[in-house]
Amino acid sequence: MPNSIPRQVSRRHALTIMGAATLLSSTALTRPAIAQAAGDPVRKIVLITDTQGAAPQAYQAGQLIAQAWKQLGLDVEARPMARQAQTDLVWFNRDKWDTTMWRMVGRPERSDPDEMTFNLFHSSTAPRGFNFVGYNSTEYDKVAEQQRQTVDPAARQKLIKQAQEIISRDAPYAFLVHPNTLQAFNQTVFEPASITVQKGVGIRNFWTFIGATPKGAQKTMIINSGTALQAIHPLYIAGAPDSWVNELIWDRLVRIGPDGLPRPWAAESFKFTDEKTVDVVIRGDMTFHDGKPVTIDDVIFSFEAPLTTDKSPMFKPFVTDIDRIEKTGERAMRIHLKRVNAAFATTALGRVFIVPKHVWEPHLKSVEGKPDTLEAIRDPMNVGSGPFRQVRARLNEEVVIERHAAHWAAPKVERVVLRVIPNAEAVVGMVRSGEINLLSEYGGDPDVLEKLSKDNPAIKLTQVTDVGIEFMAFNNRRPPFDDPAFRSALSAAIDRNVLIQAAWNGYAVESVSHVSPAIDFWHSTEVKAPATGIAVARSLLDKAGYKVEAGRLRYPAGKKETLQPPG
Amino acid sequence: MSFALRRLAHSLFVLWAVVTILFLMFRLMPGNPLAAYINEQLSEDDQRLIMAQFGLNRPLYEQYVIYVWNLAQGNLGMSFFRREPVWDVLKSALPNTLILTITGLVIAYVFGILAGAWLATKRGTITEALLVPTALATRAAPEFWIGMILLTVFAFTFGWFPSGGANSAGAAYTSEWDRVLSRDYALHLVLPALTLALYLQGLPLLLMRSTMLEILHDEFITMARIKGLSPWRITIHHAARNALLPVVTAFALGLGATLGGNVVVETVFSWPGLGRLLVSAVAQSDYPLAQGAFFLISLVLIVLNLAVDLVYGWLDPRVSHG
Repeated sequence: MPNSIPRQVSRRHALTIMGAATLLSSTALTRPAIAQAAGDPVRKIVLITDTQGAAPQAYQAGQLIAQAWKQLGLDVEARPMARQAQTDLVWFNRDKWDTTMWRMVGRPERSDPDEMTFNLFHSSTAPRGFNFVGYNSTEYDKVAEQQRQTVDPAARQKLIKQAQEIISRDAPYAFLVHPNTLQAFNQTVFEPASITVQKGVGIRNFWTFIGATPKGAQKTMIINSGTALQAIHPLYIAGAPDSWVNELIWDRLVRIGPDGLPRPWAAESFKFTDEKTVDVVIRGDMTFHDGKPVTIDDVIFSFEAPLTTDKSPMFKPFVTDIDRIEKTGERAMRIHLKRVNAAFATTALGRVFIVPKHVWEPHLKSVEGKPDTLEAIRDPMNVGSGPFRQVRARLNEEVVIERHAAHWAAPKVERVVLRVIPNAEAVVGMVRSGEINLLSEYGGDPDVLEKLSKDNPAIKLTQVTDVGIEFMAFNNRRPPFDDPAFRSALSAAIDRNVLIQAAWNGYAVESVSHVSPAIDFWHSTEVKAPATGIAVARSLLDKAGYKVEAGRLRYPAGKKETLQPPG
Repeated sequence: MSFALRRLAHSLFVLWAVVTILFLMFRLMPGNPLAAYINEQLSEDDQRLIMAQFGLNRPLYEQYVIYVWNLAQGNLGMSFFRREPVWDVLKSALPNTLILTITGLVIAYVFGILAGAWLATKRGTITEALLVPTALATRAAPEFWIGMILLTVFAFTFGWFPSGGANSAGAAYTSEWDRVLSRDYALHLVLPALTLALYLQGLPLLLMRSTMLEILHDEFITMARIKGLSPWRITIHHAARNALLPVVTAFALGLGATLGGNVVVETVFSWPGLGRLLVSAVAQSDYPLAQGAFFLISLVLIVLNLAVDLVYGWLDPRVSHG
């Protein structure tokens, strides 16, 4: 009973509301261990899943996995949780859960494997960062650090693959699938060859927005988003559709190419002169939407605002590796790094937006010495230097942007309209009727879309494997999940093909590591899918000393459960 | 006069109670707004900074006092995620919600009152046996189901109406009035308003019918019949006018209740209203926005309740003394 308090009450306020919580939690800490000796049954395992409404695929997968684990003699409860409650428990109460469905969504910047390799599994991120499972391996840490410091791609590739092998062996997660992203466009409106498919991302990408060529009179690209936008702001991104619009209004020094690799954009060139120094030269033909030229001072300001002040907290993490920036010419700057970071081009140069200093410097001054940040300040014109400029934004409804004709890579379409359409079935109707001509995301039944495309040759369907992963995370801190053999056995009990067919309707591929096959340069083909099946899992458990007696799986000798189980 | 003051004081007390419950409710819910900020490189200091910006580092009672004080001054606070004043965010969705709600309610009540009055005169006939269950079934059918059928038939199949949103993609207008008074907006409004009306018509129809059935047995109706008045004149001029009072009450309360309860219709028709805003604010633990939206809905409900009470007291003095 006491351990149900932190789960149900907001962590931060529980103590304020009732002082008794302190007493309760201290009681919980002194609770006796559950398994004291060999032969004690493994306690009830709580498997947290998303709710059916929020993520039907993950919910369904969780139910199937729970059924499989029950066949091993485990007492398993699949417990659906709203996303906020799940995040609060898993992220902020790291020793109070057993196992959870989780996902890393695919983003263009995740085409570089650093985030998935370092942040997910390095021990330094276990207390508060993305290593919420608490995986701890000195061997792995060394490889993860080395890859970050290795600028040579071939050498780094070797390390990234080595990291995948270690993770496959230690099984801190049970990798499940890489979902397939299903999108569509109207090929009577756009030249099919001008629609770019970006690896791991699909057709809704920067290159499509600037390259899509209208065939006839319809020169407006109409796309959809299932969720409303939160803000259009160069220093604050609160949601996925926000970022789609932002990256079209504000330029970046580097952009992730369709191949998943960083390429110069607003930077004419960038070069590592040594491991910790980057020389950047910007293009000379860039203008902001208000007609003023983009200068090196604007670029330096864009990086220094989050670097040297605390007024841009959301962008601060992108520049943490920067020590200082110096202007070295009319179009040139030198970035000095605090530490080597092989992914710097993707994670910093490819993330920070170039903002007009003449607009944002006065705002920065206005919040100096106040608790406010630049995130709460709005530039009504949203002046950027990107290939599109904002026309109007009704965040719950639609955003209209139009081509910035003076841009050096001006788009072919006149306008892009992003419509907020939460009803997946209505989206299909809109694609059919032409109310949407590029389906940028789809959360409905894939078969319906397939049928639409078959019945209507104008609708061209596209499918790519996502950079993102769906997985079952084990809490490596807690017995029995602190035992790699136990984790491997539980992973082996999961039939991925059943999940792909039953939960993802066939629109996913099996995942074997944290690096998606979508980024084939980094993905290790050496890591093979482990043999699966209940018999395989039982045999692994047996080898590790776990025995089934009276229908219940029991701990091997010396295994103790010392942390309290989830309520 | 003292009745009016008593009712006003009562309404203010209810409003305060609602405000307090709203404040506590969101803070007791699992999850906190930081969950939307989880970032691999967000340090503990950064997290503290964000909590401080949200004012969530202060003790609960302090947050409460600030919240009530700001509210008393008409300040609903800043949305955590939109980083805009809550009122500005609500203001953008409010016209759409009001227009949809009022249109749906007016259609439902005009139809419900007329059909209810007419059905009361068909007691014991085959018409009643068919139409009363039909009205009940429409009332009981889930809104999303009605909405999807209307969408499939009138938007996807016949293409008579658009499939969603409040305007055609990229449509530009010189002002908000210009927008909501446009033909395009009206076309987008038809299906969601019709769905809402179909869902809402059951209550006024059945209420009107049952009140009418009582009234049609009253002595003044018998008197009207003896006087030789036409059945239509008796139904409309004598019975219906007297049966209207409870239906008017239901309309006023229905307006308040429907204002925030259009989430399903808004989602099915991608209608940019208050309901969807509210759901996303709750899901993200955007306390100020969720509180603001609920506060606005509660305020409308309480004010309408008060207005109905006062009008009732004026129409029927027995209410104020009872």
